[in-house]
Amino acid sequence: MVQLTNVVKTFQRGAEVITVLDGLNVTIAEGSFEALMGPSGSGKSTLLNLVAGLDRATSGVVNVAGQDLTTMTDGDLAAFRARYIGFIFQSYNLMPVLTALENVELPLLLTKIPSADRKKRAATALRVVGLEDRANHYPRMLSGGQEQRVAIARAIVNDPKIIVADEPTGDLDRKSADQILALLEKLNKDFKKTIVMVTHDPEAASHARVTHHLNKGAFQ
Amino acid sequence: MNLVSLAVRNVGRNRFRTSLTVLGVAVAVVAFVLLRTVISSMEVAVTHAAHDRIGIRHKVSFIMQLPRRYVDTVRQTPGVHSATWANWFGGKDPRNPREFFPTMAVDPPSFLDVYDEIAVSPADRERWFADRQGALVGDQLARLLHLRVGDTVTLAGTIYPGNWVFHVSGIYTTTRRSMDRSEFLFHWDYLNNAIPERRRDQVGWIIARVDNPRQATGVSAGIDRAFDVQDIQTLSMSERSMNLSFMGMMSGVLAAINVISGIILLILLMLFGNTMSMGVRERTQEYGVLRALGFLPKHIAGFILGEAAALGLTAGVLGLALSYPFVQYGLGRWLEENMGSMVPYFRIEVATAALALGFSLLLGVAAAVIPALRASRLTVTDALRRID
Repeated sequence: MVQLTNVVKTFQRGAEVITVLDGLNVTIAEGSFEALMGPSGSGKSTLLNLVAGLDRATSGVVNVAGQDLTTMTDGDLAAFRARYIGFIFQSYNLMPVLTALENVELPLLLTKIPSADRKKRAATALRVVGLEDRANHYPRMLSGGQEQRVAIARAIVNDPKIIVADEPTGDLDRKSADQILALLEKLNKDFKKTIVMVTHDPEAASHARVTHHLNKGAFQ
Repeated sequence: MNLVSLAVRNVGRNRFRTSLTVLGVAVAVVAFVLLRTVISSMEVAVTHAAHDRIGIRHKVSFIMQLPRRYVDTVRQTPGVHSATWANWFGGKDPRNPREFFPTMAVDPPSFLDVYDEIAVSPADRERWFADRQGALVGDQLARLLHLRVGDTVTLAGTIYPGNWVFHVSGIYTTTRRSMDRSEFLFHWDYLNNAIPERRRDQVGWIIARVDNPRQATGVSAGIDRAFDVQDIQTLSMSERSMNLSFMGMMSGVLAAINVISGIILLILLMLFGNTMSMGVRERTQEYGVLRALGFLPKHIAGFILGEAAALGLTAGVLGLALSYPFVQYGLGRWLEENMGSMVPYFRIEVATAALALGFSLLLGVAAAVIPALRASRLTVTDALRRID
């Protein structure tokens, strides 16, 4: 499902070249739930960005869902993300002017699905995360945990193969965090979604089947 | 929900800031509309000039007079339907010395024939024709000076000194905007017989109606040719050209108004630009999320430009909504009734409203072009600020 071969990622800051990922090799099987842990600056979010097609490797091969991302154009990468990837961010990143249902519907605006069907699919996704009764609520009317569940509904509404989650419980209290992690486990077990999650929280990582520890751009 | 409505929804994101921007732009639109209406009110005489009338004046200057007999020659010129004449009297009402209104000595029957847009009742017409001291007064002037039919009014002559007594024979209105409704018209004979003999039988200008408006230029040339061999030559031109030459005297004022209009548009641009730049900067992370979800740079640019267009349109509509009652029922009506001789028509033209709305929309979009380009050129990771 996800295969990174000899991946190097560097950033240029002024005259200085910073190597964030240094010849990384990793394979994540289809249907797996894997956590990426490591200190700040270890490269875990950079790795997540490469897997999600948000960024490009400086060298090496990034193959996700049978697609070689390193040879794709920006437009192809955008289409790839829309089709194969579901995103969950630490700070939920919902659109404040849209209701929960509309936020979930957002990725479907890029498809040719008719409006009525889009709404049905968004409602279904909200039901999966247990928020069908909050469909017409705006983000400001929801708790942090509920907002993150709406974000998860948005991540799955396109039925992506992979869900990438960047610190999905970072802004939540323990109880809400546990609910989110349980939901991710459900998506992994019941809906066979491959999940790649960046976290600082060992408790969160314990929900994953595999945990990778990154330090200075390499696995420990 | 669709991509367009998503852009429009963003207008209400920061309601306080949006309201202030919309209000600020709306006020600028009101100012713009007012200035353009001043210009269009000045142009109204040109715009609505009769196509079938030509004016004939002294070739040297408008203030020099022509012999009365020239009217007969004009009437005999091929293509001329009828002709009349007028003298600028320059009368003042001693009771209202600050009020300016046109006072003209005219030949009543031929004047009403040439200016057929003057609407006057048969009784008033008959009364005016019969009374050598009779005056026909425009309805706006009558309201301003509180004149009624049967009143006696004494005007002080400035060009023709002395106190001149008139009887208000009738009140006129007009069927077209080509005629001012604040004029004071009286018998030329009354003036001509009362002035010293050396000043008699002179007219200020001649106005002719032509049979075919398309031949007005040729008829004008024919009239001027007829007087080429005379001591006094004429300059004939269409009513529109004549009005334009009057407007030319105010070209400085018009230029100043145009400059101020341009400054207002610049203010509009800056107001929009400021609001859009702040909004886009605050939402950079959201654009990153949208890009992550698969939206393309063109979508991001479209959202921002769409939002700016909605903002511009809202402000433009509000500006017009404020302008209309203010001008149509307030300022415009007041100006027409109290300064009718200078501002006979002060209303918002459709073209002015369209221009204001168009500029509001266009400037809104133009101001958002740079923020939209910047936002759409950000990489996804930069927008998300997720370089770890």
